[in-house]
Amino acid sequence: MSFDIIIQLEDLARHYEMGGVTIKALDGVDIEINRGEYLSIVGPSGSGKTTLFNMIGGLDRPTRGRVYIDGVDISQLDAYELAWLRCRKIGYIFQTFNLIQVLTAVENVALPTVFAGVPRDEGLERAEKLLTSVGLGERIHHRPTELSAGQQQRVAIARAMANDPAIILADEPTGNLDLNTGMEIIDLLHGLNKTRGMTLIAATHDTKMIKASDRIVWMRDGKIERIERG
Amino acid sequence: MGGDRIEGVSFSLWDAVRLGVDYIKRRRDRAIINVASVALGIAFLTTLLFTDSFYRVHTATGGASLRVEAYQYWLMIVAIVVSVVGITNAMLIAVYERYKEIGTMKCLGALDRHVLMLFLVEAFIQGVAGGLLGFLMGIGGALLSTGFTVGFGVIFKVPALETLTVLVGSMILSTVLSVVATIYPALRAARLDPVEALSYEL
Repeated sequence: MSFDIIIQLEDLARHYEMGGVTIKALDGVDIEINRGEYLSIVGPSGSGKTTLFNMIGGLDRPTRGRVYIDGVDISQLDAYELAWLRCRKIGYIFQTFNLIQVLTAVENVALPTVFAGVPRDEGLERAEKLLTSVGLGERIHHRPTELSAGQQQRVAIARAMANDPAIILADEPTGNLDLNTGMEIIDLLHGLNKTRGMTLIAATHDTKMIKASDRIVWMRDGKIERIERG
Repeated sequence: MGGDRIEGVSFSLWDAVRLGVDYIKRRRDRAIINVASVALGIAFLTTLLFTDSFYRVHTATGGASLRVEAYQYWLMIVAIVVSVVGITNAMLIAVYERYKEIGTMKCLGALDRHVLMLFLVEAFIQGVAGGLLGFLMGIGGALLSTGFTVGFGVIFKVPALETLTVLVGSMILSTVLSVVATIYPALRAARLDPVEALSYEL
């Protein structure tokens, strides 16, 4: 396996039983994703995007096939190692931001560093720098309810980067934002991908987001329909 | 993995306390319900214990012989059971409210036992607070119900050691009750599948 491939999916399938019917959320996905690549995943709802994310993110286990991250088959990892993977290797960005409501912006961003065992002061300092880098240096002590949707997503992006992960998984990151705010978020993510070399994988419907990406993966019925160059 | 070794994730008791305090501060209503619930149970208990002490002091100092009836202790047990059920209920609601946050924390590296610890720490803090509050309410209750017959000065005649024993006992019992009542909700939270928790819409 070449060192430049950070994620490799082999015949990846995830089936659910629902009311006696087998639902094939993923049904044989093969792809290799390069380090530092910006990949958009596009497809109708129910096409398997979120399930694919959950697989790469180590949140769900495959029915069949393999997920390799940096050459390690993650189905072989135990709960402890998977938590480590989620904590250090992967940054998650959600459509609904998912900030912890009781914590301030800087505490939200520092939370992954707590799990990573970083001393508190160092974690908060790192969080402050990250918030400044996403343009929220003035609002670090605000709580999520005191921030606009776009600002909340910036906090979420800063949080995703807290442990300097190799991979950012963004599930419809602009889905709850207006056009202009969405554009800002896309620029921010694209910038991080280019300057920090983070591998960015985004599920999206947003044509602007798709246009900015290196490759576009079209999904349908749990399979890759086609892959285009951006 | 890519050069670095797979290590663990960490979340100390101190981290849990800090986050637990944030949750209690920010979601005050829920915490107040839990503290009040356990405090009422404890207040019932300490009222009876102090009433008993006051009567004994009164009898020993030449007053008429008075005593706490057995059925009152049965009522106390009922009060404590009700408070435990109340806390379990309030904590289950807290788990539902936080489904998404629990899922998110698991994405950020939290293990099941970290989530469990977080809920138990909250229960512990609420238990200690409820024990103290219940103790004070209990002394007040005992004075109000007996003061007119045995005289309010009786409180100063109860041996300090006895008062201290009741205080410590109240705090321990209330903490145990609060933690026990939270075990089931906390286990539910800890075992949540992150995929399910993240897709949950309240």
